[in-house]
Amino acid sequence: MVNRLLLLLFGASATVLMFGLWIPFKALVAQELLALAWAETQARQVEARPWPWADTWPVARLELPELGVSMIVLEGLHGESLAFGPGRMVTGEQGPVILAGHRDTHFRPLEYIEPGHRVQLQGQDQQWQQYQVTGTRVVDSRTESIDTSTFGPDTLLLVTCYPFDALDANGPLRFVVEAKPVNRPVQKDTVAAL
Amino acid sequence: MMLLSLLANPAVRADLYPQTTRTIRPLISKRRWLRCAEGVSLWLAVLLMLFVHPLYAEASDRQAGQAEEAGQLYLIDSQGNRQQPALVLDSEFQVRVSGLLAETTLTREFRNTSDSWHEGIFVFPLPERAAVFGLTMTVGERRIVGRIEPRAKARETYEKAKSAGQHAATLEQQRPNLFTSRVANIPPGETVRVEVRYQQPVSYRHGEFELRLPTTLTPRYMPGESLIETATQWQAGWATATTQVPDAAEISPFTVRAADVDERSHRARIELAIDSGFPLAGVTSPSHSLVTETDGGRVVVRPEGREVLMDRDLIVRWRPLTGREPTAAVFHQQWQGEDFLMAMILPPDATGPVLRRELLFVIDTSGSMAGESIVQARSALLKGLDSLRPGDYFNVIQFNSQAHSLFARPVPAEGHYLARARQYVEGLNANGGTEMAGALSLAMAMEPAPAEGLVQQMVFITDGAVGNELALFERIRTGLDERRLFTVGIGSAPNMHFLREAARWGRGEFTAIHNTGEVNRALNGLFAAMEAPVMSDLTVRWPTGGNPVETVPARPGDLFQGSPLVQVVRGVPAGGELEVSGRLPGGRPWNTRLDLGNAAPASGLNRQWARGRIDELMDAARLQGEAPDEPAILELSVQHGVMSPFTSFVAVEEQPARPADEKLDTEAVPTLLPAGSRDGMLRYPQTATAWPLLAALGLSGLVLALAMLLLNRRPTW
Repeated sequence: MVNRLLLLLFGASATVLMFGLWIPFKALVAQELLALAWAETQARQVEARPWPWADTWPVARLELPELGVSMIVLEGLHGESLAFGPGRMVTGEQGPVILAGHRDTHFRPLEYIEPGHRVQLQGQDQQWQQYQVTGTRVVDSRTESIDTSTFGPDTLLLVTCYPFDALDANGPLRFVVEAKPVNRPVQKDTVAAL
Repeated sequence: MMLLSLLANPAVRADLYPQTTRTIRPLISKRRWLRCAEGVSLWLAVLLMLFVHPLYAEASDRQAGQAEEAGQLYLIDSQGNRQQPALVLDSEFQVRVSGLLAETTLTREFRNTSDSWHEGIFVFPLPERAAVFGLTMTVGERRIVGRIEPRAKARETYEKAKSAGQHAATLEQQRPNLFTSRVANIPPGETVRVEVRYQQPVSYRHGEFELRLPTTLTPRYMPGESLIETATQWQAGWATATTQVPDAAEISPFTVRAADVDERSHRARIELAIDSGFPLAGVTSPSHSLVTETDGGRVVVRPEGREVLMDRDLIVRWRPLTGREPTAAVFHQQWQGEDFLMAMILPPDATGPVLRRELLFVIDTSGSMAGESIVQARSALLKGLDSLRPGDYFNVIQFNSQAHSLFARPVPAEGHYLARARQYVEGLNANGGTEMAGALSLAMAMEPAPAEGLVQQMVFITDGAVGNELALFERIRTGLDERRLFTVGIGSAPNMHFLREAARWGRGEFTAIHNTGEVNRALNGLFAAMEAPVMSDLTVRWPTGGNPVETVPARPGDLFQGSPLVQVVRGVPAGGELEVSGRLPGGRPWNTRLDLGNAAPASGLNRQWARGRIDELMDAARLQGEAPDEPAILELSVQHGVMSPFTSFVAVEEQPARPADEKLDTEAVPTLLPAGSRDGMLRYPQTATAWPLLAALGLSGLVLALAMLLLNRRPTW
């Protein structure tokens, strides 16, 4: 009898653990597939879907050099796109660029981000846009929403859940990183010409 | 990858469980355990179905739902669980129009559909010139009449009653047209009714009477830097305090679409009884279709259908029979032994010499104008361009987060400039912030047109959805110089307070467009008025016998075509003659006399006067750059029972209702997004997975199983 109960407990725990670990595993593996799709997107300038039945496609590559992170960003936050990579929120033409990711998979490293860190975003045109983190804050999603009109179209917002090590997946707090573009120094070739 | 897709699809996932659990079986080789393993797999399958699958499915549903319906309101309790909104809001407007005043009893019912006690907070608009004079709370059979108290004290009274478990309601003024009502301790399953009584003057312009009942508000833009680093405090609005709008949270209720609230909520029953005193040619509305019943001299009007959605202003207009338009009226009231008179005089239409003008069109292209509003604004501007005559100069300025002018300086109204302007206007889109101050500065600093003797005018086309009205009025007052400012309100729920006051400080006129079909009608009136003020240097002499009297408004400004002079005075009995004189366009003097002995009896004049006096005191303080005379306003407010920026209504029942051990939830009731506008607010997405929880659960289970196994292996006793 005791053995039966034990086995039951063991089996159930192992299964729960497996389902738990499946999520980060999926997040990890999907990024590899997405990298392939991203390469194709850039090469052919099309919206290449990472797998035929995917309801999303890669739209950008995000790099955080200080944290040693590089990942592919997907279009939209719909369906299960967030399980495979950070998603780009649809904000309209003039709105800021908003990327959201899971705090316990892709956006885990945001815990260590600090103002002044660089953020690089590569679009479909292969151009890298350099941003610099201007600030981070914790917001309560129960009482605040994102007013797209208060940010310029050049702002980049990274959104994830907060606190980073909480177990509750439905908590109300969000961690928001705001980054502004850095103007790259203009290459001065005139000296060479002289 | 196959497995990946299977897991992504909850429907397929269910079939997967027996397989996963069956894989455990070969691990257990002992025959003795075979039978129990079967039992275990069955149990596991059941467990998974019950526990893991719903958790997983819910998490993904949540992500999908929140991303796709960005404007949807979810209430989340302190544990982070999503809740259905508990409060259902019902409204009823009973309006009685008599003469030039309309008195409204607005009943709001807060129905608690949950099984816990609730506090409801609702931010709502009232007409911009409303004088609120009553608050009554009804719980079951009990009626509690509210009293007026200084704002801070009223808040304290309310909070005390709230924590003591008593029924309580309060009404606070945030802006002259924006109020907050709080209702504490609504019992589960019950309804608390809050009755607000207010009066407003009826507008009479171009031979037509108009009454506007706002039911919702356009989300306002809050300029300035955010003051709050982290949202630590509970707040009722989506916006946080900024350097320019410190009370942003108080005036920014969550805005949702009609589909997002309970299907019985946010509906209003509206009925108007119009006692005009003269035969009516007809009652119309550009916002709703109306049902009209005529009963002698009294007309009862209600919008078609039993209830209307509270997503737009209700506008009702009535017109006297042609030739019977009143050109003068006097009303009299005795209140607490004092005489109050209200007089209306309409100067004759007169046209002066045609003026050459320099016209600056300023158009709001901010995010709140997205949707139907920008279409209306564009056609209003095109109409404005059509009204230009040869010899006029013009320019077009658009603003959102930044202001941009089409030409560097005003250009002559000639073919190719006009063509370029039309093309520019047709290409305007709405997006971004509402930095109005920048647009005003750009317009005010613009180099004048290279021509002599031009009359300078500015037409401002906007929905007025800003939180820093006072700063803008100040900018208009100090920077406009000789220019006159005319405002055109756009959308289903424009901020009429801003439009009216901006025009007043800018010595101009205002109009509002409710739908695209109305552009011509509204703008013809405005452009006719813009030709020139019909009457300037107005002086009004009441038969006071030499005593100084307090009139409201104290100094009438210039009158534009179709607009009457309306003044309320205290301490003048209904007798003698009122003398009004002024100058017509071209400088001809004009005067008229009005016999006050014929005054018709009326009520509410004292409240109208008190509200006007409070406004005058606020204005005076603004002109001198001082703090308003708070004691004087307080006294006026309490004496006449009229709300002011410094006083609130509060109603408290003596007996506590909520048991001390029951907790009270607070719910901010959202307002509806105005019809035809697009939502600019995005909700934060759900950005956490269940994996840390699942992993922790699984691991602790394994540890427990292991521990039990070790214990079990011990020699038995």
